[in-house]
Amino acid sequence: ETSIYHTETTLLGISMLCDDLGIDALEDIRVLVLLWKLGANEKPAQISKEEWKKGCIELRVDSMAKFKALLPALDTGFLDRTEFKDFFKFCFQFNRQGTHRTLDKDLVTALIPMTLKDRVPSKRLSTFCDFLTESKDESYSRITLDQWTSFLDFCYEVEDIADYDEATSAWPVLIDEYVEYLEELEKK
Amino acid sequence: MLDNGIKEGKTNMFGAKEYVTIYTTCYDMCTQRSPYNWSRDLYQRHGETIENYLTQTVLPALREKTGQGGTILLAELQHRWSNHQIMNKWLKKFFTYLDRYYVKHHSLPTLEQAGLRHFKSHIYDGTKAESAAAILSLINEEREGEIIDKTLVKSIVELYESMGMGGLEAYTADLESPLLDSTRDYYVKKRESWIVVDSTPDYLIKAERALAQEKNRVADYLNNASETKLLRVCEEELLEKVEMQLLEKEGSGCRVLLANDKSEDLRRMFTLFSRLEKGLNPMADIVQKFISSMGNDIIDKRKARLETEKDKNDDPKFVKSLIELHEKYLGVIKTDFAGHSLFQKALKDAFVEIVNKNVGQYTNAELMSTFCDRVLKSGGEKLSEAEVEENLDRIVQLFSYLTDKDLFAEIYRNQLAKRLLNQRSASDDAEKVMISKLKMQCGTHFTSKMEGMLADLAVGSDQKTEFDAKLKQHNSKLDFSVQVLTTGFWPTYKSPEVVLPEQMSTCMGIFKDWHENKHAKRKLAWIHSLGNASVRGTFGKKSYDMQVTTLQAVALDALNGGKTLTFTELAEKLNLEESVLKPLMHSLSCGKYKVVTKTPASNKINSTDSFKANPKFSSNMRKLRIPMASLDASHNTKRVEEDRSIAIEAAIVRIMKARKTLQHQQLIAEVLSQLAFFKPNPRVIKKRIEALIDREYLERSKDNNNQYNVSSPPPTVVLIGILALA
Repeated sequence: ETSIYHTETTLLGISMLCDDLGIDALEDIRVLVLLWKLGANEKPAQISKEEWKKGCIELRVDSMAKFKALLPALDTGFLDRTEFKDFFKFCFQFNRQGTHRTLDKDLVTALIPMTLKDRVPSKRLSTFCDFLTESKDESYSRITLDQWTSFLDFCYEVEDIADYDEATSAWPVLIDEYVEYLEELEKK
Repeated sequence: MLDNGIKEGKTNMFGAKEYVTIYTTCYDMCTQRSPYNWSRDLYQRHGETIENYLTQTVLPALREKTGQGGTILLAELQHRWSNHQIMNKWLKKFFTYLDRYYVKHHSLPTLEQAGLRHFKSHIYDGTKAESAAAILSLINEEREGEIIDKTLVKSIVELYESMGMGGLEAYTADLESPLLDSTRDYYVKKRESWIVVDSTPDYLIKAERALAQEKNRVADYLNNASETKLLRVCEEELLEKVEMQLLEKEGSGCRVLLANDKSEDLRRMFTLFSRLEKGLNPMADIVQKFISSMGNDIIDKRKARLETEKDKNDDPKFVKSLIELHEKYLGVIKTDFAGHSLFQKALKDAFVEIVNKNVGQYTNAELMSTFCDRVLKSGGEKLSEAEVEENLDRIVQLFSYLTDKDLFAEIYRNQLAKRLLNQRSASDDAEKVMISKLKMQCGTHFTSKMEGMLADLAVGSDQKTEFDAKLKQHNSKLDFSVQVLTTGFWPTYKSPEVVLPEQMSTCMGIFKDWHENKHAKRKLAWIHSLGNASVRGTFGKKSYDMQVTTLQAVALDALNGGKTLTFTELAEKLNLEESVLKPLMHSLSCGKYKVVTKTPASNKINSTDSFKANPKFSSNMRKLRIPMASLDASHNTKRVEEDRSIAIEAAIVRIMKARKTLQHQQLIAEVLSQLAFFKPNPRVIKKRIEALIDREYLERSKDNNNQYNVSSPPPTVVLIGILALA
């Protein structure tokens, strides 16, 4: 029954599924969670037939009703730190376009609030996005996987930037500069 | 008989006959069988007799002399001691037999020892304090300049030495120890009065004298073992306790001495403070700060000059001042500070600070390279061969303090190329000498490209003769020679694809064929912007030999015969961009020798201008050199940055390959230690680490964000790529 969604393995098919489920494909993070749980891994923005089949079997969904019933469980609040880290990494990998290994800055500033809502203080999310948007640094027009995952780790490990010590920090330079940005804000 | 013998013994020497008699008597008494053996009694009586004599005769005599002044007591003590020594000696001689058998058999103290012990307990122990005080008082008098009876003192010192029964304990405890205390008190007082009144050099002269005196004192009449201790007390009180005051004294401290080149005073200061453990460190500190401030003055002078003068990449005054400063203090360290490593380090640290302070648009690295250019190019500074070598040597010393050595190398290479290609190098040998000095400082890798450049020229001149012959065969109308450069050794240059006159292209063709024949696999690319030409131009009745660039020659050819061409027409005909044609035409129409007339006349080339050969051109000179602005930048900063990125990544890869896993700060530290020619700040290194993470060579450790592991398996492609370039 679910195979109708699988004639198209791309985002079109996914958005059809979302329509049927009654969730917003673009705004609702549960889409990503679903795809992640199904095991989409080979190529970004797609899920292959095998992955779909295997995933449906593992999640034990074989009807629309079962999909609908699954929805609540797709809340990220259920994931522990380690699981969430993995999901967060998936969000980056899945959203890559074409052969690019990095994400466009604008996409990142859209994804961050969406994926990290309720897991990271909103102040942190908004200042980080502001920082990225305002940055004139050419190299930050695209964000790497390392920078993406480090941001989450940073939010987990450094709650108070007064504890941050750049001299010993192994954090990516992006994070060093973000902390500088926050310190400047605090002064004002 | 014994008693008499002793009494007599103290004044007379015994005659041989009497000696034998007494000896034999003793012998007889000791060798009889018991109970007629008198050994024990004899031994006991020996001791008793001495005791009695000491307590009944000697002691009262001494007591009588106390309170009459130190010297008198000492004299009496010396007399009694001397007597006792004689007595002891004779008694020992008489009763030797006891020593040989009875004493040994019963493990008793020898007669001599027994005699000494008696003297010690009955006489010495009671008098030692007073006589020590007497000696110390004499010593202080001598210190104040009075003459004392050194022989007397020496003999009493010997008494103290002997009272140790083979060791120096008595001397150390009873004389040396109070001596050290009184010496300390004495010099504390001296120091307190000197330090207020005397200048540092004067104080040091006095301290030096005091130390010399004390040393002589020990040699004169004290035990050698006291020398170190005594001098130590003096050093502590006279030098150590006031070192900082002396060094920092207003008007005469170390800094002032340096500023006034007070060589002798500095030398004395160095010698004295080197006696103290860590005594030289504060001095070296002051020297470093002083040299730094002199260097900063030189930098300030440059800054001031830049406010009125144009900022160029050439400032020989500045570089010469730095060299002179360095030479001066190199000399001071050698002569005044015995070349001590602490001061060498002070010089080095000061210069590292100075040399890396850039002012104005141009870095010191560039200024230094241009200075070399002056020395090495023909028509630069007029110097003898020895002077050239000296200058180069000194510049390399300054160079050694530069952090951005790779930047210097890049600029130097560019300037070297210019000299070589324009034949403006004064001496091939001098070029080699400089390169070898840089090689000694930095290793082969650093100078490999420069050496490659020289090698190309050497090969070129060999091949020239061969090609010249070939050219003759073709009856070429033009004299033509080619310099082949190996890519990679030389800087990269713009190479505009200018349209050449036929004669030129023909020559090029001949060369190309000949070269292909010789080296089939090599590809040639022509760089016309570097070529030079000699053009004979006839203006009216006069002819001139013009030394121009290839591009200028081509433009002149286009305007031959009086044609007028607009800027655009020239650009099209010659296939040159505006950025090239403008400086080209400027050199021919707005420079010193205006061989081309520009309409409308002005000092700037506009794309609407038109040009023709100047019919009215004339000059007193027959040979003219018409320079043209260079089309290439003096050096490629971007290239330096790229090379640095590569070097940093290569270092990271090398290190991680060996260690497999490493903590962040350690990685940074090891990378910095491996980079000899520049010092990136940690953020720059981090960016390279991130790049390697992105390329999946490195990964962050799962349990520890501060740790890196080599990815397993590491992608081989990445490795090869980096290591080849490294």
